[in-house]
Amino acid sequence: MTPRTCLIVDDSRIIRKVARRIVEGLGFEVDEAADGSEALAFCAGVMPEVILLDWSMPVMDGMTFLRRLRTLPGGGGPKVLFCTIETRAERIAEALSAGADDYVMKPFDGEILTSKFAEVGAV
Amino acid sequence: MSPDDFDRLQSLMASRAGFRLTRDRMKLAEHRLGPLARREGYETVDALLASLWAKPVAGMAWAVIESLLNPETWFRRDRKTFDTFAGELLPALSAARGGAPVKVWSAGCSTGQEPWSLAMAAMDAGFPVEIVATDLSQRALEKARSGAYTGFEIQRGLAAGTMLNWFDQAEDSWIARPQLRAAVHFARANLLDAPADDHRFDVIFCRYVLADMDAARRAQALDNLERRLVDDGCLFLGADEGLEADSIAFRPVAGRKGLFVKTPAALRRAA
Repeated sequence: MTPRTCLIVDDSRIIRKVARRIVEGLGFEVDEAADGSEALAFCAGVMPEVILLDWSMPVMDGMTFLRRLRTLPGGGGPKVLFCTIETRAERIAEALSAGADDYVMKPFDGEILTSKFAEVGAV
Repeated sequence: MSPDDFDRLQSLMASRAGFRLTRDRMKLAEHRLGPLARREGYETVDALLASLWAKPVAGMAWAVIESLLNPETWFRRDRKTFDTFAGELLPALSAARGGAPVKVWSAGCSTGQEPWSLAMAAMDAGFPVEIVATDLSQRALEKARSGAYTGFEIQRGLAAGTMLNWFDQAEDSWIARPQLRAAVHFARANLLDAPADDHRFDVIFCRYVLADMDAARRAQALDNLERRLVDDGCLFLGADEGLEADSIAFRPVAGRKGLFVKTPAALRRAA
């Protein structure tokens, strides 16, 4: 069985490392991108099954990435979980209406991330 | 904490709450009692316990008991349980009750995540419910009643969309909306106490409570749950919890982890 794939998009190497450890623990093969533009280039090649997405990043932010992703061929497929320090209700609603499947407010831990993966049906 | 202190704590927990305070929880007990000792103005946990043994004040004894119970819970814990409840049980029970609200008891609700999850699941599925949520711990109930959760707590198990639908943001916390609060009534109750009236429920959730009880008290609690459950009602335990030899009143439902119904032997209150 091929392992499931998750792309972690965050400009913080530390967050990527923390998230990677948790997501790998859920049985995913993980790739990383440091901003939306890198992530978009990655997705144009291979669509991951799950994308963990920061909001505020240099070059291209998470929201721009999400909108562009959803217009790509096959771009509706990945489950996208925003994962950001932005916690205002309006912003969360904005992310969901832009096509995010769920939303994780930082700080988070393994239990939260695991339960979010379960809610979107990724595990 | 001396071994004698721990022995006394063990028997206090067993007699009042049926709770099995195993020896490996000695460090944990000391850790949990620390904040209580400070709150009550004692220098150390030992001083708090010495005072309790010398002059057993009921309020203090219960505060000690509460702090040693296991409060861990989260939203939609065992997700399948909530899907079974809203997708299978509620349609059937609601039809059987002619559309009247289905009566639900969250027994051992801790800080409230379970009853709120049940209420959200029922209302999202469009079924009227009346939920009574009880716990032994006043502190846990205060938190449950407040309906307020940190960002950390609220997203443990709850999808962001559901959170936005049912909770309002207030600075650093998320607070249950009035419509959600109206569906749940909180009260303190001890599962060891026999029912004092004949109020009965259609569905009882008693999850991750019995596993911490000693065998005799667990049987007693189960007997009380059975008396509170209508004959065609359902009992949910934790997904991985079993009954083994604890009760002949319930049998597991195949293919539905944690779901139990009454055995024919228990259908004795039909008349």
